[in-house]
Amino acid sequence: MQFTTYLRDRAWTPLLGYGLFIALMVAGYYYNITFVQLGLIDLGTRLVGLSAAAVSMWMAALALLTLVAAVITGVVMDRRGWGTDLYLKLRLLWLVVALQFVLTLWAPGIRSVPAFGAWIVLGGLGLGVGFPVSFSLAADLIPVPDRGPVAAVATAVTYFAANAYPLDWSIKVFSDVLLVAMLPGLLVLGVLAAGRIDCLDRVVTQLGTQHQRFGRGRFCHPTPVRTRSLAFLVPLVLMFGVFFVDSLGFLRIIDTPALVLSSWQSPELSTRLGIAVAHVLGAAIAGILYVNFDLEWVFVWIFALFALTHILYTTDLRIAELLPGFAGGNSPLNAAMYAVAVSFYTTLNFALWPDLATTDTIGTHTAIGVGVAGWLATFLSTAVALFLQQAEVTLLTHLNLVNALALLLLFGLIAGLYVQRLLAVAREAPTP
Amino acid sequence: MTPTEALPLLVVVTLLVASSGVAVDQMTVTYTGDHAVDGREDVSVVAGGTVTVPADTTVQSQVYVVGGTLTVAGTVTGDVTVLGGNLTVADTGAITGTLETLAGTTDVADGAAIGERTRLPVTEPAAGPFGQYGALVFQILTLGLAAWILARRRPTFLENVARTATAHPVVTGVVGALAGLTLLVLFVYMAFTLLLLPVSILGLLGELAVVFYAYVAFGHRIGTHLPTAHTGLAAVLGVTGFLLALELLGRIPLLGAVVQIAVVAIGFGAVLLTFFGLREFHPATIPQ
Repeated sequence: MQFTTYLRDRAWTPLLGYGLFIALMVAGYYYNITFVQLGLIDLGTRLVGLSAAAVSMWMAALALLTLVAAVITGVVMDRRGWGTDLYLKLRLLWLVVALQFVLTLWAPGIRSVPAFGAWIVLGGLGLGVGFPVSFSLAADLIPVPDRGPVAAVATAVTYFAANAYPLDWSIKVFSDVLLVAMLPGLLVLGVLAAGRIDCLDRVVTQLGTQHQRFGRGRFCHPTPVRTRSLAFLVPLVLMFGVFFVDSLGFLRIIDTPALVLSSWQSPELSTRLGIAVAHVLGAAIAGILYVNFDLEWVFVWIFALFALTHILYTTDLRIAELLPGFAGGNSPLNAAMYAVAVSFYTTLNFALWPDLATTDTIGTHTAIGVGVAGWLATFLSTAVALFLQQAEVTLLTHLNLVNALALLLLFGLIAGLYVQRLLAVAREAPTP
Repeated sequence: MTPTEALPLLVVVTLLVASSGVAVDQMTVTYTGDHAVDGREDVSVVAGGTVTVPADTTVQSQVYVVGGTLTVAGTVTGDVTVLGGNLTVADTGAITGTLETLAGTTDVADGAAIGERTRLPVTEPAAGPFGQYGALVFQILTLGLAAWILARRRPTFLENVARTATAHPVVTGVVGALAGLTLLVLFVYMAFTLLLLPVSILGLLGELAVVFYAYVAFGHRIGTHLPTAHTGLAAVLGVTGFLLALELLGRIPLLGAVVQIAVVAIGFGAVLLTFFGLREFHPATIPQ
């Protein structure tokens, strides 16, 4: 690892780069999984008075808007060469954080549908600009061999914080906590982006030159990955599948009090701590596997873990259906397995897109990668979940569907890998 | 009791009932609520709630208690087996068959009439050296034989496993722990379906075989450092030394168990990653 070399050489500036990247990723992702994914549902249903279905539609609109804003930002970044301008990226990020700060302050006071809609539009804009810019910082701050472990640390810290110290899922609580967290971040980012302090200017300038060594991602050797090539599109489709499977299952799980109150919202500290530790373990395992294995095997593991997790959930539900006397019991193993699977793919998501890009394509690739795989998958899974809810599909049938999808992707991937190997062997075989 | 906790006992009861020649679909299973039983039933299973055989009532049935509470104030003309939960036989109660307690709590009043009563004896480990170390000796003999054969015929297989384990302990440990645990969970859940019970047993035996293969590879590696030119003998001695060391590790509280688990995980991962030693594992290369 480059990190240990820097540490041994006491190269504080590159080490500061690690810290800055991890802090930004943790803050951004924590904001996303708490305030955006859970807080907005509370805001829409409880304070604005919308139905759960209407809020889901607004959330889907937010996802689409974020995707559009991200792709525009990413493309503009690459066309204007902003991918190598660290100062510009820090200033853009400061603007995004400032916008999110104002929006976070405003959110608990929203009581009308137009105001809620306006929040969604502005929020989507901020998120859409924010994530290609923040992901592209990997090219400036994180050496290629260290991206897996760094992604693992960011994932572990985010999910540990979110689970070990769970907040009440209300917009006011999220708003209060995040405002306190964002204020120093806004200040530090502002000072760094301003470049008015000489010693900090030297640090940012030095960090800004590192893209010359770190800029070309792991999978861009010997030739860069093109946006329209299979090398980019296949991981994109697979990541889309992962996000879709996760989101479709989780939307129903958090809508089922028996499942969520015995796991993520359990009053027992030990249960929540168990899930938090499972997240950390999942992230650590993913970090190690990402570095040591080819990408396809990491995907195989992810789909296998999701398939197994949903087998556990559906088996419990089937038994409860068969033996009604036991209904309501939910094994903590299920949530722990879910946590491992989620941490696994989150780690991959942090590391993958910068590794599929160079400084010339990092804006577009991270925007399309995170936008399509993350946000579009969320939008579509929300729509499917709503459809299933309106069709009064039972919990077991819903999770069974998710399980089938995970198994299909798992075996599809294995079959694809086998066929790929088969074709390679056929090409190598001497012609008679 | 969650379904996950109850299911293994129900699987055991189902197997016991099936082996006794009674059709499984004729079992009456109680999961919840309060019930009074009378008349004749082939097999009754108390899995939850409270079941009572009232005084002056005779029930012709085999009864299994796996959860909940069974109170016998009347007469049961059959065997009663307690695998979990609670059984209370009142002064007026009678069980004409055998009352067998394997686990759970059984409270029999002094005036109750029981045909025959057995309890799962808590067996102390045999005091003799063979009783204490019989399993270890058996492992040494079987794995030693495997090591002898493999070391003479396919030494590269064992070398590849051991080399991969020592060169990449973190990766092999992580892969071993992840694969071992997920497969274990999968096989246990397969067993719950009953239909896949044979596959589950085979799978668990397969996992055990992978671990033993790793032991042989580790033993072979130790054997290469011993002062003997005979590869087969060196491997046998290596395996013996390895197994004894593993046994001694188990005597160290906590730390010993942690190291044992780590060794098993690393070995399991190394065997999988090398395809049982067919080739050495090379991590993916990341361009600097």
